[in-house]
Amino acid sequence: MELNKENFEEISDKILNQSEADEIEVRITHNDTALTRYANSQIHQNIGRKDTKLAIRAIFGKKIGSASTNSLNEDSIENCLDKAEKIARNQRSDPDFKGLPDRKEPVDKEGVFLERTAEYSPDERAEKVKDIIDLAKEDGIDRVYGAFKTEASKLFIANSHGVKRCADLTTANLTTSVIADWDNDQGFGWGEMCSADVAEIDHLSVGKRAVDKGLNNLNPKKMDEGEYDVILEPLAVKDLLVYLDMMGFSAKSVQEKRSFMNGKFGEQIMDERVNIHDDVSDIDMVGYPFDYEGVPKKKVDIIKDGVANEVVYDSYTAGREDEKESTGHALPMPSPMSPLAMNLLMDTGTYSLDEMIEETKKGILVTRFNYCNPVHPVKGILTGLTRDGTWLVEDGEIKHPIKNLRFTQNLIEAFDSIEGIGEERELFAMGYFPAYFAAPALKISDFKFTGTTEF
Amino acid sequence: MYHGASMRNLVEYGIELLEKEGAEYGDIRFFDSKTENINVKNGAVEAIKNSNSRGYGIRVIKRGWGFASSNDFTKEGMEEAVKRALKIAKASSKASEKIELADIEIHEDTYETPHKKDPFKIGLEEKLDYLMDVDDRMNIDDKIKVRKCNFNAWKTIKEFASTEGAKIEQKLIQTGGGLSVNVFDGEDTQKRSYPNSFGGDFNSRGYEFFENLELLDNAKETAEEGVELLEADQCPKGNMDIILNTNQLALQVHESCGHPTELDRALGTEASYAGTSFLTPDKLNELRYGDERVNIVADATAEGGLGTFGYDDEGVKAKKVDLIRNGIFVGYQASREGAAKVGLEPSGNMRADGWENLPLVRMTNINLEPGSWEKDEIVEETKKGIIFDGVKSWSIDDKRLNFQFGTEAGYLVENGEISGLIKNPTYTDITPDFWKSCDAIAGEKDWVLHGVPNCGKGEPPQTMQVGHGCAPARFNEIRVGVGKWN
Repeated sequence: MELNKENFEEISDKILNQSEADEIEVRITHNDTALTRYANSQIHQNIGRKDTKLAIRAIFGKKIGSASTNSLNEDSIENCLDKAEKIARNQRSDPDFKGLPDRKEPVDKEGVFLERTAEYSPDERAEKVKDIIDLAKEDGIDRVYGAFKTEASKLFIANSHGVKRCADLTTANLTTSVIADWDNDQGFGWGEMCSADVAEIDHLSVGKRAVDKGLNNLNPKKMDEGEYDVILEPLAVKDLLVYLDMMGFSAKSVQEKRSFMNGKFGEQIMDERVNIHDDVSDIDMVGYPFDYEGVPKKKVDIIKDGVANEVVYDSYTAGREDEKESTGHALPMPSPMSPLAMNLLMDTGTYSLDEMIEETKKGILVTRFNYCNPVHPVKGILTGLTRDGTWLVEDGEIKHPIKNLRFTQNLIEAFDSIEGIGEERELFAMGYFPAYFAAPALKISDFKFTGTTEF
Repeated sequence: MYHGASMRNLVEYGIELLEKEGAEYGDIRFFDSKTENINVKNGAVEAIKNSNSRGYGIRVIKRGWGFASSNDFTKEGMEEAVKRALKIAKASSKASEKIELADIEIHEDTYETPHKKDPFKIGLEEKLDYLMDVDDRMNIDDKIKVRKCNFNAWKTIKEFASTEGAKIEQKLIQTGGGLSVNVFDGEDTQKRSYPNSFGGDFNSRGYEFFENLELLDNAKETAEEGVELLEADQCPKGNMDIILNTNQLALQVHESCGHPTELDRALGTEASYAGTSFLTPDKLNELRYGDERVNIVADATAEGGLGTFGYDDEGVKAKKVDLIRNGIFVGYQASREGAAKVGLEPSGNMRADGWENLPLVRMTNINLEPGSWEKDEIVEETKKGIIFDGVKSWSIDDKRLNFQFGTEAGYLVENGEISGLIKNPTYTDITPDFWKSCDAIAGEKDWVLHGVPNCGKGEPPQTMQVGHGCAPARFNEIRVGVGKWN
């Protein structure tokens, strides 16, 4: 069966007509993912996978049942509907459920789909990987690692209130790391680029960035833990934005009293230059124009001039508050993680990375962070380590590489201690969720490093 | 056995195609999974989700690795998928060395998870009634803002065939659940869970495992302790002895022994994502990883373990492998390809998350063997320390050396007795230093086999169910109370 809007409509019409439920939602997702992984300068994993999934939400009164299948033959579709309805009938009522969305206003754009990304071949990916391996070899590095992923996805949503939407999306993501001195286990470097258009992935520039970092990261010195000014490159800032998002930017975390935004709305909680918003229509952003309930994604100014301003909603969390509408941030329902800001951007400032370094008396330059995890979400405390290139900056110059450090830091305090915001931002994919982040570099004072490691 | 002749014929047809196309090696793994998740929150059902996923993955070597997956069960679908896997292998050969796989015994066999009650045959009403009762028991205080409890079950049918002649069918059943409360007093928030956080505890057993978790009997006590945590003292700062209860020790084993003994990490093939390992092959049989009382195994045969099965996704029979013996690093979790590179036996750890993903080196049940102490005796012989209970926060560097953990609750021990509850407890150390400081491990009586259902690895990301058996253990002079809290 061809996977197009017409066929999806045919399936959903049949389900909507057949269903005995009071309300019904049909969601069809299709993903065609191709990924080439390389390690030790060899391609070691290379995959192509395609999957189409049908998910049905059936509602009787306020009783909800969900079922999904990846088989779209007639029997499987009927079974899936039957299961969803059976579960719903045997369910308990959820008094907070106010109904499926019925918002039908047009969306700004129908997704971002580039044919050349969708059609990118294993040979093309392998050739680009080979170029990066060869580029590193010219500098004597024969330990190159990374992944080149291209993906074409389709999202179709229909419900019994007349919502019917379909959008396509392509993304391409390239990561490269190097270990410049494998024998002595040192010289780690990193490069990364994400775009809807594979033609915009400058693979040689990603490779060069990783190689340069690796070569400049040999013989790192141990640095004592303590409070230092930090210059965070865009990727490191993205790592922090991910956790700000997960710890506090959703209506659910506020309603459940586990967000650092609780009781702070209207208050200045961060530096006044901080503006963080979720906006899929931004020119720098990629993503579906509507959420997994079919609600158009609204621009949400989460932090405005440093003030805790608003959070994102799905239809369920909106229904729990008076006169609130979904902002279009539902994940595939039912989901304990929903709603989630999935297209987060932080506004740029006026500093170049060089200027941040030049204006630093003593500080630490960080490429990215590793394995971050909240220690206390309401206080906004996060821990994690630096990775793939960390340097001491002294008297306006990069002095030497340093061994990785662990931080345990209140992020709200960190974003209130910003000394400079980068003039450019970069786009990154989150990895586990279909979420994207555009982040500039930041200079932050008194960042708390609480431990050191051995490399 | 489970899917009859048509599926078997299709898989055999795929193997014939691979052989005809001159594949150096190929395997096909058919996979049919069923899951049921029930989440109850604040007296209402947050979600009941029932999902099915079927498909097959084809792994092939032809001068390079190729992998393609599909859920098209026609002959044409299989032909297309085989063609795609071979095309990808050809592309890989542009940057690939010769691939060798360690020899293994080839099996034709079946396996089924031993269980008493099929969790999918228990009525929804019964599960819901029980969870609603559990929820009601937790509803004891206005400070409790979120009450949650859940039931989860997985049933997976796998058929594996290879160009070497393997034909293996497996039916795996996994069950579990848990409960938690989030409390808030206007200023602080805390969380308390039972029997562990992030969904509770899980085993490869039937519905009887869920029944034996005794959620109902533990609901009120867990909720009460959640509320008490709001008033508890902040974790002190400094160095002291710590005792890890099994729910936290399981994660300690997972992060600081499970991941670094994965050979793919040690050889660099996960370097760009999850990271590498401080346990490099030159340290095998040489490095003192921990105190001599520390013995850790990877055991896919452990009864009921969440990482227990008959065969891994390369057709290697489930086995028990030493990782740490008498404190010395002695073994890896290894794939056939990795094992061939370093001259070891494959350990039977290759597992894929679903049909659409490539098998990776994944933990099975990484178990700390029991020691000789009584659990109470460890506390009695501790002058000053903290007992850590209930996973809350975890972080470790990309070589698995520097770690920091936080738990939901801590119990202060003074002069051999528990003297109070503390909140936000954290501890940090370097892996070998930490395990060398282990001076007491409780015995078999207190040994518990926990299940961790959400271990992440690989690109695209894969989630795996793994097990960790352990008994409470004590570690000397560990740094606690990290960070600024005021």
